Amino acid sequence: MSHAPIAARFYPAGGDAHGHPALVELAGKVLQVLPEDSPPQQAPLASLQAATRGFNHSQWAIAWPAEGGGEHMLLIDEAAVGPLRAAAPALFAGGEGARRRSGRRFLAGITLLALVPLLVVVALLASLDHLTDRVVSHIPPSVEKQIGAAVLARTRLEGPLIDRGPAFEAVQTIGRRLARPGETLEFHLADRPEINAFAAPGGVVVVNSGLLAKAASPEEVAGVLAHEIAHVELRHSLRQIVRSAGLRVIFGALAGDYDALGGWAAQLGELKFSRDAEREADQRGLERLAEARVDPAGMLRFFETLDKAEAGGKAGQLPALLSTHPATTERIAWLREAVATRGNGPVEPIAIDWRSIGGASR
Amino acid sequence: MAMDVVDYEIFGSEMQYVEVELDPGEAAIGEAGVMMYMQDGIQMDTVFGDGSQQQGGFFGKLMGAGKRLLTGESLFTTVYHNEGSGKRRVAFAAPYPGKIVPVDLSKVGGTLICQKDSFLAAAKGVSLGIAFQKKIGVGLFGGEGFIMQKLDGDGMAFIHAGGTLLEKTLAPGETLRVDTGCVVAFQPSVDFDIQYAGKIKTALFGGEGLFFATLSGPGKVWLQSLPLSRMADRIVMASRAAGGGGKEGGTALAGFGLGSLLGDDE
Repeated sequence: MSHAPIAARFYPAGGDAHGHPALVELAGKVLQVLPEDSPPQQAPLASLQAATRGFNHSQWAIAWPAEGGGEHMLLIDEAAVGPLRAAAPALFAGGEGARRRSGRRFLAGITLLALVPLLVVVALLASLDHLTDRVVSHIPPSVEKQIGAAVLARTRLEGPLIDRGPAFEAVQTIGRRLARPGETLEFHLADRPEINAFAAPGGVVVVNSGLLAKAASPEEVAGVLAHEIAHVELRHSLRQIVRSAGLRVIFGALAGDYDALGGWAAQLGELKFSRDAEREADQRGLERLAEARVDPAGMLRFFETLDKAEAGGKAGQLPALLSTHPATTERIAWLREAVATRGNGPVEPIAIDWRSIGGASR
Repeated sequence: MAMDVVDYEIFGSEMQYVEVELDPGEAAIGEAGVMMYMQDGIQMDTVFGDGSQQQGGFFGKLMGAGKRLLTGESLFTTVYHNEGSGKRRVAFAAPYPGKIVPVDLSKVGGTLICQKDSFLAAAKGVSLGIAFQKKIGVGLFGGEGFIMQKLDGDGMAFIHAGGTLLEKTLAPGETLRVDTGCVVAFQPSVDFDIQYAGKIKTALFGGEGLFFATLSGPGKVWLQSLPLSRMADRIVMASRAAGGGGKEGGTALAGFGLGSLLGDDE
C-alpha cells in the first residue's frame, strides 16, 4: 500500500491562512504529512474526513482533529488525489456522492433553464388561435372601420381607384346583390392589372380591374366577392393582423431580434392561417351566393379559370389572387362537390351587360 | 513545459499599463487590442486561439478559439516575440480605470479562475481556458455568469480589474460576503457561492441586489472595488441622452451653454 508522495497544501490548526506546501502519503493505516517547513504530522486513517470543495469540486479537503483542539486540514487537487483514493476508497465515497449529486443538479437545472422558455413559447403558440379569438372579440367595430379606412388609404397610395363608369357600377350592383340587409359593406375598384381582390376589416372590399377583365360573367365576380365578404364577416384579416402581431412578440422575445426572425416567422404563420381561412371563406361565400340567388357555378368557374392560368403560366407569372388564395386542385374539387350538392337552389341571373364593361373582350 | 520568465514593471496609478521585458527569444501573449507600445526587435504575430503550445492541430486551435469566443474575448491572441539580441520591452495598457494585477501562477498552484474579460497579458506558455460555473445559482446570480476564465501554467499573468484592488488570503473556513460583480479572481480551492441577502427590504432598497457572492477559504481571492458594468451604468445614467444632464444643478446651465456653443457644427 505504498505510492509516490502526493503534493498537497497543509493548513495546521490555528495556523495562518496561507498554508504550507506538503507531501502526503498513506503508510498502512496512517496518513503521513510532510510539510516543507514544519515537523511531520501523522493522522490515523480512521480519524480523517474528506470532502470536495473549491470551484466545481476541483479540490479535496481532508481534515482531522488536532491534539490541541481545532482541525488540521490538507488540500489536494482532484488531479493528484488518485493514488490516495485508490488506497482508501471509503474515505472519498461521501465526497464523490456529493460531487455526483451536484453534477446531476447542474444538469437538471440547465435543462430546466433551457426548457422553460421553450415550453412557454410552445404553449403560447399552441394557444395563439385561442388568444387571437379573445383579442379579436374585444375589438369594437369602430376600430375595425378605422383599420379598413387605413388599408383603403394605403391602396389609394399604391394606385388609383376607379369611382365611376360601367365597371364601377357593375361592381356596386353585384355588391348590393350580395349584401344582406343591415350590412355596411363598401366595394371599391382599383385600377390594377393583377387578377386580385381583397377584404379589409370594417367591410372594405377591393377588386382589381384585372379581375373584372378575366371574369367571363358577373356571376364569376360575384363568386369572388362573396368569398371576400366572407373574410370580412369572419374577421379574417383582423385575426391575421392580431395573430401576426402576437407571433412577432413571441418570436421577438425568443430571438431578441424583433425584425429579422420575428418577421419571417410571422409571415410563415400568415400563410398557414390563410389556407385554413380560405376553406372557411369558400363555404360562407357559397352560403351567401345561395341566399342572394346567384349561381354558385360562377365561383367554381372562375377558380377553374385561375387554375388553368396557373397551370399554363410560367413561374413568377401566377395571378396574384393565387398567391394569397391558393387555388389548389384539392380546393377546386371541394368547391365542385359543394356546388353540385347545393346547386339546386333558385337562381336569378345578375342583370349586367357584361360585354358593355369590356370584361370578356379584353 | 518551459515557461518564459518575464520581468515586468507596472506604471501609473489609476489607469495603468504594464511593461514587460523580454529576453532574446522570449515571448509574451497579449489580449488583442491592449498593446500600448513595443521596442524595436519585437515581432508581433497574431495567432488563432490562445497561443499556448499544447494544443495540436487544427481542431485544437479551433477549440481554443471557441473558448475565447465564449469568454467574450477576441478570437485571436497576439504573441510578442523578442527577435532582437538584447532585452526588449513591450507594454500592455489597461482598457479602463483600474489596477493591473500581476499573478505568478507558479505561486498560486498553477491555476487561477478569473472573471471573463479580465485577462490582459501573460508569459508565453500560459494557457487560457474556460471554467464553466457548475452551480446554477452562482451562474445566474453570482455576478460573474456561467463562463469564467481559467489561466493555467507557471509563468506570470496580468489580469485587470476595475477601481481599486483587494487581494486577500482566506483561511480555511473563512468566508467573505462580496457584492456580486466584485469578484475578479480566485484560486480553485476557494468555494464561490451565493447567499440570499435575507430580507426583501434589504434586497429592494439596500441597493445590493437579492444575493451576495460568498467566497470561502482556504485560498487567495482578488476583489475589485468598481466593476466596469457599475461604472458604465453610472456613466449612462449621467449622460445627457439618458436625461441625466441636469443632475449637478449648478453646472447644468453652464454645460448647456457650452454644449450649444460647441455643438454649432453639428
